[in-house]
Amino acid sequence: MTTIAVDQISKRFGQQTAVDAVSFTVEPGEIFALLGPNGAGKTTAIRIILDIFKADSGTVSVLGGPMTEAKKDRLGYLPEERGLYQDGQLDRTLVYLATLKGLSGPDASRKVDQMLKRFELYDHRKKKIKELSKGMQQKAQLIVTLIHDPELIIIDEPFSALDPVNTQMVKDLLREERDKGTCIVMCTHQMHQVEELADRLVLINQGKVVLYGGLQEIRRSYSGQEVHVHALTEIPTGLPGAALIEKDNSGYRIHLEPSTTPQSLLRNLVERGVQLEKFEVAIPTLDEIFIQVVTAEGHPQ
Amino acid sequence: MKKLWLVFKHEYLRHVLTKRFIFAVLSVPLFVALSIGLGFLSVILSTDKRPVGVIDHSGVLSAPVIYPEVDNGPIPFTTFQFFTDPTAAQTALDDGDIQGFYVIGPDYLTTGQVSLTAPEALATGLQGDFANLLRENLLKTQPVELRQRLIAGPEITIHSVTDSRSVSSTNILGVLMPIVAGILFVVAINISGGYLLQAVVEEKENRTMEIVITSVSTDQLMAGKIMGNLSVGLTQLVIWLIAAVIGFAFFANLQSDAGSIEMIRSYLGILALTFLPAFVLVAALMATLGATATEAREAQQISGLFSLPIFMPLWFITAILEHPDSALAVGFSLFPLTAPLTLPLRAAISTVPTWQIGLSLAILVVAAVGSVWLASRAFRLGMLRYGKKLTLRELLLGTG
Repeated sequence: MTTIAVDQISKRFGQQTAVDAVSFTVEPGEIFALLGPNGAGKTTAIRIILDIFKADSGTVSVLGGPMTEAKKDRLGYLPEERGLYQDGQLDRTLVYLATLKGLSGPDASRKVDQMLKRFELYDHRKKKIKELSKGMQQKAQLIVTLIHDPELIIIDEPFSALDPVNTQMVKDLLREERDKGTCIVMCTHQMHQVEELADRLVLINQGKVVLYGGLQEIRRSYSGQEVHVHALTEIPTGLPGAALIEKDNSGYRIHLEPSTTPQSLLRNLVERGVQLEKFEVAIPTLDEIFIQVVTAEGHPQ
Repeated sequence: MKKLWLVFKHEYLRHVLTKRFIFAVLSVPLFVALSIGLGFLSVILSTDKRPVGVIDHSGVLSAPVIYPEVDNGPIPFTTFQFFTDPTAAQTALDDGDIQGFYVIGPDYLTTGQVSLTAPEALATGLQGDFANLLRENLLKTQPVELRQRLIAGPEITIHSVTDSRSVSSTNILGVLMPIVAGILFVVAINISGGYLLQAVVEEKENRTMEIVITSVSTDQLMAGKIMGNLSVGLTQLVIWLIAAVIGFAFFANLQSDAGSIEMIRSYLGILALTFLPAFVLVAALMATLGATATEAREAQQISGLFSLPIFMPLWFITAILEHPDSALAVGFSLFPLTAPLTLPLRAAISTVPTWQIGLSLAILVVAAVGSVWLASRAFRLGMLRYGKKLTLRELLLGTG
């Protein structure tokens, strides 16, 4: 069963279209990245999925149907604009928010203790939230998101304010959740985190879907326009199929003409007696694809 | 419903268990008790307990009846010491054994002449006590009830022309207590509204809102918040009322004539009927304000605009109490923000016509329902706007 099915949703605020006919699906047991520049419509899309906003048109199915109050207990949400009751005591606040997610009082207390130990916050449990560091507060918010073992986790910028050690811990945690079959939707600007974690992604720009699919599939689809070559002999100028040849310390970067494939370029190199040490089709990073797509589509102001 | 209860409990305990709340609740009765106690103490300490000398040449005080005939509580009463010899009285005065001495002339019955010798003016109450001593003894052959009636004077009952209700001029408690309770009532409503305002704005400022509304419906959240803060206000009100009743019982031996009990009962009925819609009205307006404002300080400043009409009847309290059926009093009873204080005030001293109570409550309920509608709209439209104010136009016309 598809965990989230978003079909042609649109939402306008006054004259501005925040989300424009967006469609995508998210499957169980996958980490799905929702990407886009600032103001692209990601948060609006998430709020529509969570039934905080109503879409002007289109439909959303979450965990097998429309969002209901009962389903709220089956999802964990970490919004971008987040915080906790600053004057509240850490453990009491977590227990309260866990009970709002359907856990009984004793279960909530037990789980809070477990999670506090896991996130190395147990010694701070009697402190007020405002007495905790930003990173500790971030971990406390992650506890709120995960404490009730949700089937669907939606997290917006999960790694902000975390140091490298805690970032690694959260990554491990998200992989662990995915391996348990939990569906994770992750919004982030940190592309290398997406490359490490995500199975599939959707890129939204100016409210519209501009990229959608498996991570590797997308990267491969943007590859083939550049090759990296190490050669024992000089590459001759005027090489057929090469639009631009750049040389640096690590070798040659050859930009292909639109009609040329890496295979035909390799043939041309061999035919011209170039002694190759390494020939590699360059696969662009997600960062490069993001910039390329967003720049081509136009960046919202 | 379970989540509504959880929100209610959270809202209630987060206020009631704070030092600020405990201080706010206890400080008012403690301050009042302390003021009254200090007042009594200063009276007791400043009262000269020495007797007052009396030399009677008229024979009015031969075998005198002592005044006062009953103990009048913690404040010491005047005692009189009788002398036959003016020199002995002068010596006692010189020695500081008496405060002064009266000399009642032999022709007192015809002239009323009495002279007083004292180093400084005697207290007004003491002069009254001496006059009462003479009155009692002039009539000592009459029955004691007659003497006491003469001293106490008439007990005047005031009837209004159109009213079956009557108020005893000496039953101050019956009038005062409902007024005090009414003031406490609106203070409690206002304070509860303030707590709600603070709770809503803080949730917005803390960015907790988005987490909470993906756990519980906005209706349950609103209802839980309003009920929780209503209970905070009720707790405060009940503690203050208990303290007021204890205070009245302690200091005034709580008069218990049937009239005042009946009046307090009908008054409490009106108070109970107005409390819920009045609270919901104020709470929803505060929640609207909290949801539309961007920060707590701004919201607190604007909330003063709501407090103004709520307390406005106090500015006109004399006019309302003197003319409880005037156009001003009726107008204030029908306007939803002034009704919560005006209706109980009028009920404390007269019978408010049933149609006015009905109409006032109906308007109050309609206003409360309207403000809840406005609050839930503001909640939906304004709660997820961080650092951006929701305008009145957006609130009334916008969609979420």
